[in-house]
Amino acid sequence: MGADLRFDAIVVGGGPAGVAAAITMAKGGLDCVLIERGRFAGAKNLFGGVLYTHALADILPDYWSRQPPFERPVTEQGYWLLSPDSAMRILHKGECYKGEPAAAYTALRARFDPWFAEQAVREGVLVIPKTTVTEVRRDDQGRAIGVATDRPEGEVSAPIVVLAEGVNNLLTQQLGLARGDLPPRYVALAVKEVIGLPSAEIEARFGLAGPQEGVAIDIFGDATLGLPGTAFLYTDTKAVSIGVGLLLEELVHHNLRPYEVLARFKAHPAVRPYLAGGTPLEYGAHLIPEQGYDRMPQLVADGVLVVGDAACMVDALHREGTNLAMTAGRLAGETALEAHREQDFSARALRAYRRRLAESFVLKDLKQYRRMTDLLDSTPDLLGTYVNFINEAAQRYFTAHGIPKREMEAEILGLLRERRSFLGVARDLMRLLRGMRG
Amino acid sequence: MHAVVAIKQVPDTTNVRIDPDTGTLIREGVPAIVNPYDVHALEMAVRLKERFGGQVTVLTMGPPKAAEALIECVEQGADRAILLSDRKFGGADTLATSYVLAGAIEAIRAEGPVDLLLFGKQAIDGDTAQVGPGVATRLGVPLITYAIEIEAFDPLARTAIVHRRTELGVEVLETALPALLTVEKEIAAIARAPLPNLVRAARYRPEVWDAAQPVAFDAAKLGIKGSPTVVGRAFTPAAKAPGEQIEVAALGLPAVIERALTRLEAAGVLAAGPPSAGGPGGGP
Repeated sequence: MGADLRFDAIVVGGGPAGVAAAITMAKGGLDCVLIERGRFAGAKNLFGGVLYTHALADILPDYWSRQPPFERPVTEQGYWLLSPDSAMRILHKGECYKGEPAAAYTALRARFDPWFAEQAVREGVLVIPKTTVTEVRRDDQGRAIGVATDRPEGEVSAPIVVLAEGVNNLLTQQLGLARGDLPPRYVALAVKEVIGLPSAEIEARFGLAGPQEGVAIDIFGDATLGLPGTAFLYTDTKAVSIGVGLLLEELVHHNLRPYEVLARFKAHPAVRPYLAGGTPLEYGAHLIPEQGYDRMPQLVADGVLVVGDAACMVDALHREGTNLAMTAGRLAGETALEAHREQDFSARALRAYRRRLAESFVLKDLKQYRRMTDLLDSTPDLLGTYVNFINEAAQRYFTAHGIPKREMEAEILGLLRERRSFLGVARDLMRLLRGMRG
Repeated sequence: MHAVVAIKQVPDTTNVRIDPDTGTLIREGVPAIVNPYDVHALEMAVRLKERFGGQVTVLTMGPPKAAEALIECVEQGADRAILLSDRKFGGADTLATSYVLAGAIEAIRAEGPVDLLLFGKQAIDGDTAQVGPGVATRLGVPLITYAIEIEAFDPLARTAIVHRRTELGVEVLETALPALLTVEKEIAAIARAPLPNLVRAARYRPEVWDAAQPVAFDAAKLGIKGSPTVVGRAFTPAAKAPGEQIEVAALGLPAVIERALTRLEAAGVLAAGPPSAGGPGGGP
């Protein structure tokens, strides 16, 4: 039996990053095992709901013919800025979103991840569920030689281990690649509900022509009580996904329960009508690593590559994560193939993975937005202040009060000055600009 | 030692809801599992294999999706898995199901001797507890239901001593082998499967037997055609009203006892008799 448990590569974790790595390696001819702790790949996974297809196409060019279980294409997207009793909506839709396959789809991970793992099986990956990797085994020189699991006779050996273990990156920590648990100021807790509604009802409420159209809205302001965080409302085929994410530190500091924040958001007058009469189908919660570029774990060690959430590859500003994860998985897979060709699994050789990442959007974007979490964290009232101002200003602007427009403009300016000095506004703008420009 | 275990893939009824209009299970979106009693039956077979050597064959009748359940059985230690799957089997009641399983087991016995047949005591979706006994009857092998322990097992002498639970206590029975046991969960605690089993299961594809091959079943005895059971009506019984509560603190114990006895007599549970002269504790 022991001889059976020797592979060319081991992937820990059956999320998008791990499966992408496994598919890439299997396509390149490696005998690859993927070990997943959940009952099936995806059983433990959750996201808001938008999946970008570019990363998938790079891994499986024929993915469309494999019938991925997407919900709806995203044909309209944008922001809502919520004050306690009003909403400023900035949405974009157009013919540009109507090609097939679309650039983005809403999806549910409990359906998408098993499909993605099934593609890995089709490519020859051995997927082992219900098994937790407890340790990366190393030789006396510290090189990874395999893993130990929580099962009897649970050792598996391989010269390269890809850690795609997700946000709770215990193995990455165990190897000393990450400094320890994520500090609460750099990790968000997101909670989400999937609320069932008839397809036609969703289309009527969101102004969609049919199941070939869908909306993805990111929401700021009152949804998170003005605190650093975002909320979202996405249309699925026969449900809407609604959720809210806040930095853990803010939840603790304000003694907020995430499900209460979500319940409050769902009751907002601008939101409630979209959910009315729906059946709650799912409730879930997940941590999102948002510590950014400067606090990412080391990505390589001798015989080890770290990908996806385990390496904190999340662009919170653009609600991107799975596409970063898949791209990182693919690049890790390509690096592993190269390492096998050269028979060199040293950290020095594997650093090619980091170089590939640095050339891709993954590290470029993470680097550009490296200051965003700190910006929000140091100015926790930023979102609430400006979102409320914009809503009040809009109300003045769009309504005739029988006063001269110049007075109205002065009033709007006054609304801003009540909240922030001119210097304060200038400073906020500067910092926001720096946060965006990188 | 060769043990054959029959299993069923069932909806996980711990999460299942009943449609209030039709009275049937809402199966949509409910995860499918191996019937929990069957998991313990398989575990018992795997323990015997560890002790005596030999092999464990697992079989089920069901749709192609039931292959998932068989693969879980391979994870747990089954060596061979057979899926009896054919549209003609669909809609079977316990009579038609036991006909097919008995036929399949006969075919397995034709390949080589089988020492033990293990079934869960019942499936958690139908709760009939009829298929195991039905198969034993068709095969003409000894049947022991509600088995909780195999005290002794001797594949050479072809005997076993089995404990079975009854309403009154535990019966200890000696049986000739092969015998068919339907088991309670106590028969064997589930051990965590070793990793090599999972690796083997990930590569394993169950054999699929249909209505014609390798056993040529009699079409008249299959599926809906072979199932005389008719479900007349399914309904959700009304919730029972809670019983009366009498506060001891408010009335005092003797008054409460008096009142409780009166109620029981009125309901015809107790025969009305003369109140005892000596009061509480003062019997003859």
